Amino acid sequence: MLRLLLIFGISTFGVSTLRADMSRGFRNLMDAVVRIDVREYAYEAGAKRFRSGVGSGAIVSEDGLILTNAHVVGRRAVEINVTLSNLERVSAQLVGWDHWTDLALLRLDQEELKRKGFKFAVAKFGDSERLFAGQTVYAVGTPHGLTRTVTRGIISNPRRFFADSQGVRGYETGLFNTWLQTDAAINPGNSGGPLVTEDGKIVGINSRGYLGADNLGFAIPAATARAVMQGLEKQGGISRSYVGIVPGALQDFESFYDLELNNGMLINSVDPGSPAAEAGLRGGDILLAIDGQRVDGRFPEQLPPIQHLIAARPIGTTLTLSVKRGPKTDDYVVQTEALVSRVGEESVFEPWGLSVREVSRAYARENQLPDDAGVLVIGVQRGFPAAVAGLAVGDVITKINDTPVNSLALLGAAVDEYAEQPKRVLIEARRQFRVSLYILKP
Amino acid sequence: MISRFSISRSVCCFVIFAASLGGAPDIPAMLKERLASVVAVEFTIEHELDRTVNFAFGIVIDNDGTVILEPGAISDRATPNQLKEFKIYRPGAPVTDFATADYLGQDGYSTWHFIRIEPTGRIGLKPITTFVSTDIPAVPAMAEEVWGIGLRKKDEDYTPYFLSSRVSFLQEMPQHTAVALDSVSGRGLPVFNLKGEFVGMGASGFGESMIIYSQRRRGEMSVLINPDECAAFRLASEVVVAVGRIPTSPYGRPLPWFGIDGIDPVDPEVAEFLGLGSGSGLMVSEVLAESPAEKGGLLPRDIIIAVDGVPLPRLKPDRIVAAYLQRELLRRLPGTSLSLTVLRDKQELELPLSLTDAPKTPAEAERHYFEDLGLTVREIVYTDAVARRADPTKLTGVVAHFVKPSSPVGTAGLQQDDWIKEIDGTVVTKFSEAVSLINAVEKSKRPEVVMLISRGGETSVLRIKLN
Repeated sequence: MLRLLLIFGISTFGVSTLRADMSRGFRNLMDAVVRIDVREYAYEAGAKRFRSGVGSGAIVSEDGLILTNAHVVGRRAVEINVTLSNLERVSAQLVGWDHWTDLALLRLDQEELKRKGFKFAVAKFGDSERLFAGQTVYAVGTPHGLTRTVTRGIISNPRRFFADSQGVRGYETGLFNTWLQTDAAINPGNSGGPLVTEDGKIVGINSRGYLGADNLGFAIPAATARAVMQGLEKQGGISRSYVGIVPGALQDFESFYDLELNNGMLINSVDPGSPAAEAGLRGGDILLAIDGQRVDGRFPEQLPPIQHLIAARPIGTTLTLSVKRGPKTDDYVVQTEALVSRVGEESVFEPWGLSVREVSRAYARENQLPDDAGVLVIGVQRGFPAAVAGLAVGDVITKINDTPVNSLALLGAAVDEYAEQPKRVLIEARRQFRVSLYILKP
Repeated sequence: MISRFSISRSVCCFVIFAASLGGAPDIPAMLKERLASVVAVEFTIEHELDRTVNFAFGIVIDNDGTVILEPGAISDRATPNQLKEFKIYRPGAPVTDFATADYLGQDGYSTWHFIRIEPTGRIGLKPITTFVSTDIPAVPAMAEEVWGIGLRKKDEDYTPYFLSSRVSFLQEMPQHTAVALDSVSGRGLPVFNLKGEFVGMGASGFGESMIIYSQRRRGEMSVLINPDECAAFRLASEVVVAVGRIPTSPYGRPLPWFGIDGIDPVDPEVAEFLGLGSGSGLMVSEVLAESPAEKGGLLPRDIIIAVDGVPLPRLKPDRIVAAYLQRELLRRLPGTSLSLTVLRDKQELELPLSLTDAPKTPAEAERHYFEDLGLTVREIVYTDAVARRADPTKLTGVVAHFVKPSSPVGTAGLQQDDWIKEIDGTVVTKFSEAVSLINAVEKSKRPEVVMLISRGGETSVLRIKLN
């Protein structure tokens, strides 16, 4: 495998006649890279507040689709301004969003483009699967607001594993893909910009760097980005299947579990109440195959593709998992359910100075809550009724005036009623495992 | 002269009488006499890897050499059999001259620790009750002048010194407590009024909120606690109760148990909304499995408003009410019946309940240290399961009680309080099983052992390299 890549490298870069093509390709890319200015609202501290940010992106289709990061443009963006290569600005809309891969898809305002007569180039993708460590790459973007900055480096590792449970504004990321690691300088504002080879082809979407480290940057591989982009364009999001297995690398455990090399994935943990738990799986089991397809989870880098294998199946699919426990191997049948984030839908109720979020199944599991009922307090505004009553960030509101709260709408109705005719409201909330009562009053 | 007085109560009254007759109280003489009720205590806690020497002050409560120490004097994590080598020093006497003592246990209700001095070490000691004039100990009034004893450190032979101040206010916390303007005694040492009557015992842990101004962190509120002296003291009534509560087992048994978790006081606004009048209420978050509370029909979200018909008082701050209920239960013996009045769906209900002896506590749990692994495993007990959101009636596995840093288990990522569920693929159902499994591993000189552990509801497989 390694040798193949090297040969590919020599044959491509050893031939000087390609230089002209390369520079043409790079110029084309530069005409496709954009700066993105976003204004969005956030439900911070019990109020709807605006904040703004700057990121990067690349135009990837003739009809003005722009690929960027999910952490650059969120779903609450109210104003997206794209600066084209001619330094003119055009507005854009969010088409789709996927925090698991940290990708967002925007579309330039077609009418505005036509009216102003602006032209742009469309960037081309390269093959991120064939990158090798040491290969020269360039990062293009808007670091610290410095529009159209090109930095150069190499691929430091083409298949880096890292998962972050709160990596994209509190949302999970990195479970289903590996990352490209590069030493091309990536600074805040580079996010969403392309990582390209010398011929200007996009091999990655720059996403993050280690704070306090020198030149440890990470990008989403183009192969992942292209696949996700298709889904985002069609459905605005990616639906994924979930069974509730938390994987672990098998390296060093093979002899203990009496396994042949390169087969099996360790199940480190099984989410309580998940399909896998219902089917009887538990931590310490070894997953050998999914629907007869053998899995190899020896190294951490191999775990995201296995996770992806499950996630990519339609929701509700019945999977047969071959699982080894002790000396026995058995088949377990699980039906997948929809993957949800730990971050539920959010809202703000300004008359009470209260920002809330629906408790998702994932959040409930993570925090060992009995169920996913209730709404989570994510912010309170000082001096407003919720804060005065004693509610605080982290509380889960379970009842209002003795009525169970299981949706934002229900809470919203109570707030509306209060806004119309303020009177005392009895709130029951759970703080960790303690149930408390609060009186909210005008 | 004074030291020749017998320790009977009548003599004691005479002393007080004499002192008050003479106009100004003779505090120097009283102080000298009352030194016979205080001792300095040194003891050792044996940990897995080291021993720590600890110091505390105590008050003598009877003629059998029983001494009480304040609850903070001994770490909660130390179990009775880790407590060794109690040494008793007299104020101002050479530290080469000491007596030994045994640890008797901690009383759940009063929270005092009890130790008993060997017979030869009791000579010349006077119980603090000598200085209690009537059946009901004197309660100092607000603004009244009180004084007490402090002891210097060991290198100064625990030399006694005098402290005095005036009572600033009195409060139920829920222990009856007075707070003075300034330090009135050493930690765990007695406080007296001007008549020489015992009025309380110095209580530590009370701090003063202060704002510290510094160049770097401006205006940050800090709490200052004096580690050696106390301005707050538990009233004498809280101390004399100890005389009748000397533990019969070092684990503080009998220990009454009720079986509720997460009791949360309703604040005054809510109390008013619920129509509790001047009373108070406690919301029950959880009713534990197979507990007396569950058997008595208590449900989560019930609001307890009275015990045996006596409404819960409104204590300040609110959270004190939870401690009040705790004490109301701990005051009773296992087997006692009581009735709880609860508010459920706005209806008042009377629930007859019967306290039982508490399930095994972590301090009582068996434990074993494995030198090669650097690990102490501890038997899992009821409260462990409750804390881990697991079923406390079906206990499996063991708890990693101690993990030696850089040891094989430490390097593998095991952490203190992890729940070990499987060892080498074998489900651990009993403590003895875990011990024999690990023993076998240590003997076999195998290169590794695999454990399935649970932490925060998530399991993880750990590979522990042994050599």
